[in-house]
Amino acid sequence: MTADIVKNTEQRAGGGASPSRRGSVHPIVPWIVAWACLLPLPFLLTNAYTQYVVNVICINVILAVGLNIVKGFAGQVTVGHMALAAIGAYSSAVLSTKLGLPFWGAMPAAMLVTGLAGAIVGVPSFRLEGAYLALATLGLAEAVRIIISGTDWLGASLGYAGIPPPYLAGIALDDYRSYYYLAMPLALLGLYFAFSILSSDIGRALKALREDPLAAAASGVNVRKYKVTAFVLSALYAGCAGSLQAHMAPGFIHPNSYTITEMITLLLMVVFGGIGHIWGGVIGAIAVTLIDDLTRDYLQYRMVMFGAVIVLTVMFMPSGIGGLIDDVLVRRRFKAIRRRRAGVASVVAADDV
Amino acid sequence: MLLEIKNLTKRFGGLTAVSKVDLSVRQGEVRGIIGPNGSGKSTLFNLISGVYRPDPGASIAFDGKDITNLEAHEIARRGVARTFQLLRIFSGMSVIENLLIGHHGHIRYGAASAVVGSRRAWAEERRVRQEMMELLSFIGLADYADMPAGEMSGGQQRLLALGRAMAARPKLLLLDEPAAGLSPINVDVLLDTVLALKNRFGLTVIIIEHILKVVMETCEAVSVLDHGEKIAEGSPAQIRDDRLVIEAYLGKEMKDEEVRAFLRSA
Repeated sequence: MTADIVKNTEQRAGGGASPSRRGSVHPIVPWIVAWACLLPLPFLLTNAYTQYVVNVICINVILAVGLNIVKGFAGQVTVGHMALAAIGAYSSAVLSTKLGLPFWGAMPAAMLVTGLAGAIVGVPSFRLEGAYLALATLGLAEAVRIIISGTDWLGASLGYAGIPPPYLAGIALDDYRSYYYLAMPLALLGLYFAFSILSSDIGRALKALREDPLAAAASGVNVRKYKVTAFVLSALYAGCAGSLQAHMAPGFIHPNSYTITEMITLLLMVVFGGIGHIWGGVIGAIAVTLIDDLTRDYLQYRMVMFGAVIVLTVMFMPSGIGGLIDDVLVRRRFKAIRRRRAGVASVVAADDV
Repeated sequence: MLLEIKNLTKRFGGLTAVSKVDLSVRQGEVRGIIGPNGSGKSTLFNLISGVYRPDPGASIAFDGKDITNLEAHEIARRGVARTFQLLRIFSGMSVIENLLIGHHGHIRYGAASAVVGSRRAWAEERRVRQEMMELLSFIGLADYADMPAGEMSGGQQRLLALGRAMAARPKLLLLDEPAAGLSPINVDVLLDTVLALKNRFGLTVIIIEHILKVVMETCEAVSVLDHGEKIAEGSPAQIRDDRLVIEAYLGKEMKDEEVRAFLRSA
């Protein structure tokens, strides 16, 4: 079912590599179609646990798409994304329990807080690159987790309970089936925004940063501004996902959900799906969440397996599944050009005769 | 004067890469910069384009305004575009995206339009793509618009680097060894393209080049650097006969006749 949606929308969005915007249909239309097609999903899944997994997939899609913006498009290697999600989750939790804000106020506010935190995480990127930047962000991320684990009013290492569910038109979204109708549209909305941004001038500027910051600056791109933009954008996604995690039944969050293990799992989604490829992030989020769930009996071997998959992906499929799709599209275009040229040549030859 | 450089110095630790250089370039001129390897030519470009900060005491004025301590992207936006010796094209992006990044400073729609994908943003995107396609046709790469730039041949990548600089609609174009590594025929193609672009857009061009033919045939005036200092300046014909230049390039042991023969044959 999801595959159909992917196919439908991919035609409009051009596969993410170089979205061309032709035709007169507004680009939001395929997304509305996708939303309509995904509506009956929880009713096809009778068991509450599968419904829960589908919600987790939606949240992971938001996380992976956000991480892909900063890592895949802007090329900034960060391992602080889960910490940003933690900041989003805890801000949303505190705002709704201590200040009594409803979900619809707490989530945007939490996204704002996470966005600010993202800007702070982005500052080291002005001077650091690659592995060094990864280490700096790892430090920040661990600091966030340890501060949460040691702060009593954040529940410390016992976790934070009693977060109220969101209300939609007076109905509490307090089971997994109803929560899906919050998580799924938000995931689609996040995807739509990601496509718009990344096919715009902003997205191109981010890619130019990844390719060559010096050449980008010489072309008039304000490198620092766009680095911060990338970190803030991805933080907004993390904040949204964190807030969704916090308010989902049973309304409980724990610092152990935001460790480096979770970060590696998230990285795997992006790497396996395809770095710098939005659909790759979605495919990766779906595949990894499902695998993670199917293999939960072998929890102790999970990291070994994920590590192996990351290494194998980087060795044999460096641009992930998304990259494979891109390759096919590019090769087809090459063939079209060659055919066109061959056509011209044969016409010329015919004229000569 | 479009570009007026005074007392430009840059030291890296103990090495003085550029030393007290003065340089004035008229609007519409094609200026050549020559000099042996390590004479400070590329550093000069990096100083003009804001990649490096000059040492205190220098002043660089462009189009009547001081740009000495501006950042690279600000200088680019005022109309100084450049190419790099090692090209530095965005090889993971498509050919047209490379040009669109060059055009970045001229694309006008707000972040909000971009986020929601408004019709305004679309219309603007369509317009600039059209414009860049025209530029691509001009440099002869229109067929490859959607190809990853890294899959082009070396010669095509050189043209693309030139196209990306031109996409910024600059007033001043800095070309760092544009013909390096090209076959003689392609050198001619590239030079014709540069001159055609110059005439069409009323550009001022500064070219660093080792291929003397390029400098002698294209440039109206030539400045010569050696060990970071400007040792000569004048028309190609004057430079050709300048004792200091000959020594800088070929060493002091060579006889004058040999040198002249070499330069004429180049």
